[in-house]
Amino acid sequence: MDPRTTRRGFLGLSLSAAALGTLAACGGGQAPTQTGAGGSSASAPAGGGAAGAATYWFLSGQPGQGIREDSVKRFNAANGGNAITPTEFQNDAYKTKVKAAIGAGQAPTVIWGWGGGGLREYVQNDQVEDLTDWFGQNAPVKNRLFASSFGAATVDGKIYAMPAETVQPIVLFYNKTLFDKVGAQPPQTWTDVMNLVDTFNKNGIAPFSLGGQSRWTNMMWLEFLLDRIAGPSVFQNAFEGKTDAWSDPAVTDMLTKVQDLVKANGFVKGFSSITADSNADLALLYTGRAAMMLHGSWTYGTMKSSGGSFVSGGHLGYMNFPPVEGGKGDPSNTVGNPGQYYAISSKATPEAKETAKKFFSTTVLDDAEVSGWVKNGGVPIVQGADAKFGTGGDADFLKFIYDVSNNAKTFAQSWDQALPASASETLLDNIAKLFQLSVTPDQWIDNMNKVTNK
Amino acid sequence: MTALAAPAAVRAAPRPGGGGGIRGANLTWMALPALALFLLFAIIPLVGVLALSFTSWDGIGVIRPAGLASWRTVLSDPGLPHALWVTFEVMALSWVVQTPMSILLGTFLAGPQRYRAVLSVIYFVPLLLSSAAIAITFKALVDPNFGLGAGLHISVLTQDWLGRPGLAMGVLIFVVSWQFIPFHSLLYQGGVRQIPVTLYEAALIDGAGRVKQFFNITLPQLKYTIVTSSTLMVVGSLTFFDLIFVLTAGGPGDATRVLAVDMYSTGFQAGLMGPASAIAVILVLVGLALALLLRRLGGNGTDSQLEGA
Amino acid sequence: MATVTSPTMPAVTEGDARTGRRRKRGGGAERGTALRSTGRPNWVGGVLSVVWLAIVVLPIYWILVTSFKSQDVYFLANPLAPPSAPTVENYVAVVQAGFVRYFVNSVVVTLGSVVPAVLVSFLAAYAIIRSPGRRLLRGMNSLFLMGLAIPLQATIIPVYLLVIKLGLYNTLGGIVLPSIAFSIPLSVLVLSNFIRDVPKELFESMRTDGASEWGTLWNLAFPLTRPALVTVTVYNALAVWNGFLLPLILTTSPEKRLLPLALWTFQGEYGVNVPAVLASVVLTTLPILVLYVVGRRQLLSGLTAGFSK
Repeated sequence: MDPRTTRRGFLGLSLSAAALGTLAACGGGQAPTQTGAGGSSASAPAGGGAAGAATYWFLSGQPGQGIREDSVKRFNAANGGNAITPTEFQNDAYKTKVKAAIGAGQAPTVIWGWGGGGLREYVQNDQVEDLTDWFGQNAPVKNRLFASSFGAATVDGKIYAMPAETVQPIVLFYNKTLFDKVGAQPPQTWTDVMNLVDTFNKNGIAPFSLGGQSRWTNMMWLEFLLDRIAGPSVFQNAFEGKTDAWSDPAVTDMLTKVQDLVKANGFVKGFSSITADSNADLALLYTGRAAMMLHGSWTYGTMKSSGGSFVSGGHLGYMNFPPVEGGKGDPSNTVGNPGQYYAISSKATPEAKETAKKFFSTTVLDDAEVSGWVKNGGVPIVQGADAKFGTGGDADFLKFIYDVSNNAKTFAQSWDQALPASASETLLDNIAKLFQLSVTPDQWIDNMNKVTNK
Repeated sequence: MTALAAPAAVRAAPRPGGGGGIRGANLTWMALPALALFLLFAIIPLVGVLALSFTSWDGIGVIRPAGLASWRTVLSDPGLPHALWVTFEVMALSWVVQTPMSILLGTFLAGPQRYRAVLSVIYFVPLLLSSAAIAITFKALVDPNFGLGAGLHISVLTQDWLGRPGLAMGVLIFVVSWQFIPFHSLLYQGGVRQIPVTLYEAALIDGAGRVKQFFNITLPQLKYTIVTSSTLMVVGSLTFFDLIFVLTAGGPGDATRVLAVDMYSTGFQAGLMGPASAIAVILVLVGLALALLLRRLGGNGTDSQLEGA
Repeated sequence: MATVTSPTMPAVTEGDARTGRRRKRGGGAERGTALRSTGRPNWVGGVLSVVWLAIVVLPIYWILVTSFKSQDVYFLANPLAPPSAPTVENYVAVVQAGFVRYFVNSVVVTLGSVVPAVLVSFLAAYAIIRSPGRRLLRGMNSLFLMGLAIPLQATIIPVYLLVIKLGLYNTLGGIVLPSIAFSIPLSVLVLSNFIRDVPKELFESMRTDGASEWGTLWNLAFPLTRPALVTVTVYNALAVWNGFLLPLILTTSPEKRLLPLALWTFQGEYGVNVPAVLASVVLTTLPILVLYVVGRRQLLSGLTAGFSK
C-alpha cells in the first residue's frame, strides 16, 4: 500500500469522524426503544401486534416449559385464539437475550424472571409496569400467594412483578444406591461431608456432581456455606453496599472451605466444562457416576422424567444442607428462588398489558397449574397447596420442600439474582476462578468489595 | 483464455492500476454502493465504538456520556492484561503449531503422485464445517465422562481436557489447527507449485538430498507465502470468537478468555457497554498494529486478512 | 477455466492442478509441481500424511457413526464401533426441532448477503482500477484495505445499536446488511487484483468499438473476471453461512435463527444426548458437503486463488 494513499485514507477517516459526529450524540438523550410497542415485523413476536395480543418469554426445559405452555393454552382457549404467544429460551442465554430485547425495544409483554436485582434494573430504566395498585384492586389474587414471595417482587416499596410458579430452595440430593454400596450415611455436619468425599473417591465414585461452566451452580455452595457459618447478615451487608462487607472473617472461612473441597477432589472430573442447561450434571447423579449433588429443587422433575426408575424407584435422597460445626447460621435457613416473577413490559400496548393482567388474575396458578406443578415435584407458592400433595410417590419430596421453605428462618435469594448485572457477572467470574483455584480467598474478597462497595 | 498468458510478455513496464482508465471518465459512481454500505455498517460503527467507549450504557437504558470513566474501569481491571496475554498466547501458539505442519503438508501435497490429490480432497473437509459445529463436536469428544476417552476406557484420554487451564488451551490450539491447517496447507501447496523445477534439478545434480533441497530451496522460495499465510493466521486469530465461545465460553475461569470473548462478556453479559467498547477499541488498535508490523516485516505484499469471522 | 500454465508443464494430478492461479512472474522458466524426483519414496512424508489423515478423519468418522446410534447405546457401547442397530431417530428429532426453518433462514441470509456484496464489490473494483487518477477512488481503496487490517468484529456493539435504530433488530435483514459490509474489503481486493491483470489493449479495443464503460464492464470485465468472482462468492458464502457472532447478537427469536446458532442452542439443551447433537452437526454441514462434492474445484480454486500471487 502506497504510504501516501495510506495517509490519505486515514485523513479521510478522521474527517468523516469529525463530520459525522459521534454515535453517542445520535443515540444519547433517548433510550433506543423507538420501534414502538407494536413491534415492527409481523412475524417477530415482540411487543404485541394485533390489539390485545401479548407475548410471553420464559425458560425452556421440562417440566416447567410444559406447565407454562399449558397455562397459556388454557388462557388462549378461554380468550379467543392467540391472545398470548409464548417463546422459550435456555436458562444461561435467557438473561442476556431478555436484556438485549428490552434494549432493542422488543421486550415481550410478559417477562419471566427471578425478581431481585434483575427486576430492579428494569425498574430503574422504566421498563416494567408498577403493579402495586393493581394488586390493591385485586386483593384475592395477592392474598392467596405466599406472603414471603413478594419480597423479591418489590423494589423501593412498590410491587413490579407477579410472584408465580414454585418455591425453589436449593437441596442436597444424593444417590441412595451409591450410599448403600459404600455403606455410608448422608452427612449431618460439614466434617461428614469431607469424610464422605474421601470415602467416595476411594471407591471410584465422584462425590459431588456439578455443572461448573454455568457458574451459578458453584455459587450455591458459597451461599450455603456462608449462611451456615455466619448467617444471612454478611451477604445482606454486601447487598446493601456496606463498605468492605466481604472482608468479614466468615467469608475467608467459607472460601477456604470451598477450595479445600475442590482440592480434595470433591467434584466430578470435568466439572468446569459441564453446563447446567444440558442437564449433564443431573445425568451424572442418576446414572450413578456421582454420589451427591447440590442443586435447585426444580431438578426433581427433570430427574423424574429423564432418570428412568431413579426417582420412582426411591433411589433419590434429599436433605437440607448440613450445618457447619461452630457456625452461627441457623441450620433451618435456606437459599434459592422464593418464586418466579412475571413482570409486564411498560412499553407494551395498553391492550396487551390488559391481556397480561387478565392472564395473571385468571390463569396463573389456577388449579390446573397448581396440579401440574405438584405432579412434577414443585411446590406452588399458593397457600394451602400442601393439601394437594396427596400421598403419591412425590408427596414426601413435596412435603420436604414445603417444610423447608416454610420453616426456614431466612429464605435468602440467590446472590446472582439479588445483585445487579455487572456485580453479578463479577461475582460469577470470581466464583469460577475460585473453583479453578486460580484466585486466593483474599483476592476474591478484594474483587468483590470493589463491585459491591457503594 | 490463453490471452491471459500474454500479459507477462506484452506489458513492459508495470503500471499502477493495470487496465488504465479512460482519462476523463469518472467511474466513481460505480463504487458508491460499496462505499455507502461499508461506511454505514463498518466505518461508522468503528467510529461509534470509539465514541461509545466514552459513555456509560447498560444496554437497556439511556446512553450517558461518561468521559474517561469506562476507560479507567477497563485499564485498571486486571482482566484486561490477562485477556491480552491470552490473546497473544493463542496467536503465537496457533502460529507455531500450524505453520510448520502446513508447510510440510503443503509441500507433500504438491507432489505429483495421484494419491496425494485424493488425500487433499479429504484434508479439506474440516474447512467446510462451521466453527460452532467443530467446537460442539470436540466438546463432546473430549468430555471426560461421556466422550471418546471415557467410552474407550483409555485413562490417558479422559483428562479434564476443558476443565484445566493448560489443557483447555491445548485443546483450543488443537481444534484451531484442525480447522485451519487445511487452508494454509493449500496456500503452501500453491506456493510450492510455483517453484521452478529447474532449481530442484540443479540441486539434484549437485547431489543434494530431499532434506537439503527442502531447507535450501523450498523454504526460501516460500518466503512470500509464509508472510501471506502468517498474516492471515495472526490477524485472523484476533477474531476468534465462535470457536472459543462455544468450546469453553472463555473458561475454565478465564483461561481462554481472549479479547473478543472479554468484549462480549463485558458488554452483553455484565451489561457494561462502555467498557466493552473500550475493549473493542483496543482490539482494533492491536489488529492495526499487527497488520502494520507484518507489512513492515514482510515487505510489499498482500494485505492482511480476516479468517473465520 | 483453463489454468494458466506454461506449455512445458508436465501432466499433473487431476483436480488440484487447476487452482486458477495466475502467474505474475515473467519468463518461460519451467514451473510445475515441485518434483523432488530423487527416486526414493518419501517414507517420512508418507507416514506423516497418514497420521494427519487419521487426525482429520477420526472426528468426522466419530460424528457420522455416533449420529446413527441412540443415546443409551452410545453410553454403553464402544464409541468407535459402528452402530449395531442404526437409527435415524436423532435426525428426526433434529428436523422436528425446526431445522428446516433455520436452513431456510441461512439460505436467505447467505444469498441475500453474497450476491449484493459481490456485485457492489465488483463495481467498486472496476471503478478503482479503471479510473486510477481519481483521488476519491484511491481514498476509497485505502479505506477498504484498512478494513482488512481491522478485526471488524470489534464494531459489533455499535452495529447492534445501529440495527436497532434502523428497526432491523431480530430480522434477517439486520444480519444481511452488516455481512455485506464486512465482505466488501476482501472482495474488492481480490477482484481489483484480477481486473488489474486484464490487458489494457482489450479495454481499448472495446472503446474503439464504441462501447460505454457500463458495456465494457459487463461484456468484457465480467466474463474475464469470472474466476475471481467465483473466488469471492465462495469465500463470502462460506463465511456468512457459518457466521455465528452476528446472528447471536442481532437476532433473538427462534423464527429468525440461523443454522450455527441453532446448533449451539440445540447443543445447550440436548448436550447429554450426544448422538442427537452430532446429528445436528451433520445436518448443518450437509449442504456445504454436497456443494463440495459437486463443485470441489470451484471451491478449492475459490479459496486460494486470490491469496497466492
